[in-house]
Amino acid sequence: MRRWWTTVGALALALVLQVALAPHIAIANVVPSFMVLVVITLSFVEGPSSGAVAGFVAGLLLDFLSTSPVGAWALVLSATGYTAGMLQENLFAEGWLAPVTVAIIAALLADFFYLLMLTILGVGPAFWESLLAAVLPRAVYNAVLVLLAYPWLARFLRSDQSMKSFRRLA
Amino acid sequence: MRIGQPEPKRGNPRLLVTLIALSLVLVTVYFREGDSGVLHGARRVTLEITAPIAHAGMALTSPFRAAGGLIEGIGVSRERLDALEEQNAELRARLAELEEARQENERLRALVDFAEGRRLAKLGAHVIRRPVSIWEGVIVVDRGSVDGVESGMPVIAAQGLIGQVAEVSPHSATVRLLTDQQSGVAALVQSTRATGVVRGSVTGELSLGFIDREQLPQPGDVVLTSGLGGVYPAGIVVGDVTAVDDRRGELYPRVTVESRVQVDRVEEVFILVGSSIATEGGEIE
Repeated sequence: MRRWWTTVGALALALVLQVALAPHIAIANVVPSFMVLVVITLSFVEGPSSGAVAGFVAGLLLDFLSTSPVGAWALVLSATGYTAGMLQENLFAEGWLAPVTVAIIAALLADFFYLLMLTILGVGPAFWESLLAAVLPRAVYNAVLVLLAYPWLARFLRSDQSMKSFRRLA
Repeated sequence: MRIGQPEPKRGNPRLLVTLIALSLVLVTVYFREGDSGVLHGARRVTLEITAPIAHAGMALTSPFRAAGGLIEGIGVSRERLDALEEQNAELRARLAELEEARQENERLRALVDFAEGRRLAKLGAHVIRRPVSIWEGVIVVDRGSVDGVESGMPVIAAQGLIGQVAEVSPHSATVRLLTDQQSGVAALVQSTRATGVVRGSVTGELSLGFIDREQLPQPGDVVLTSGLGGVYPAGIVVGDVTAVDDRRGELYPRVTVESRVQVDRVEEVFILVGSSIATEGGEIE
């Protein structure tokens, strides 16, 4: 990472927002994840390896915030960060289409694999009910948040400050 | 790779495998260690550190929540007001009857020297954090081990049961809500006395399972804690039956229950910290 302190700052800010703001902007019990937002954006900006490390740290913080087994979010967000970075680098799309597509796929994968992880560990909720009631709505909510915050967050995280739009970021 | 773009950053599969292996080690350690283990301890430290942040979030967003409630209240129709006034009159009449029954009960208990002098001690607490994830129904309150709170203690609100203390740090505690998918409480239907287990779900909906078909409840019936299992005291309101689906193909009927507590709005709760000797006037903490 070229500017590690911006990454640490973004993760710290995401933690604060997750605790202080996210519960209050829930729609129909669907709480957005600022951690996922930061991990996906970091993966876009810094690439798959940095995305995986940021995902691991963000996941660990989420694990300690929750009451579920520690390590579950760390595993899922490491893989999500890596996958988002790889998709971003290899997707044949221009302009805003690439981050939009990757954001939706990554947000969907993160919650789907977390549900799978909980199910494998034997502490998961009803699988199909959760898929419809939790995974899909939250993926949409997170993807919308990524799209809203991505241009500004990416500009903050990138060393190249001239980046201003989706077209130039993609 | 897009033409004209710089060389993309290559992924490092070994790094990913290492992180995944590390995560799996953490999961294994978590399951193998006890409550006093390193990871459980780290979780308590996180709870203690993030409690002030959550408290600040609640304080900063309270004007917006109040404004939202005000806007919702503006839209109350005349019919709704009439219905509430009618219900209020019915409840006043019912209250008078119950007060009469309560006094009679106390007189009779005194006559037969009923050996039940212990009542539950309640500890008031403020909600400082609401659920931070859709995957679990957990709130945080501003009371902890220094206040005598322990894991497993029941938590109630004025309208009924909320849940159970899950983790405790010195100055705060997490409460697993009744609506959480991992929650379960032994309950009974007030009218039929049929016993079952109320369970939460990922959608926050409550269901009453293991109910005998011979004692089917009706929508509107009140569900209370039964006291079986010893975790929750008997007689706390869990919610009201909203739907009963008695399919022949299933072993037990599906009974849907709605909690009377609106968790997204509750701000103060009581933790039942144990039993205390009631004073002569019946006062408890």
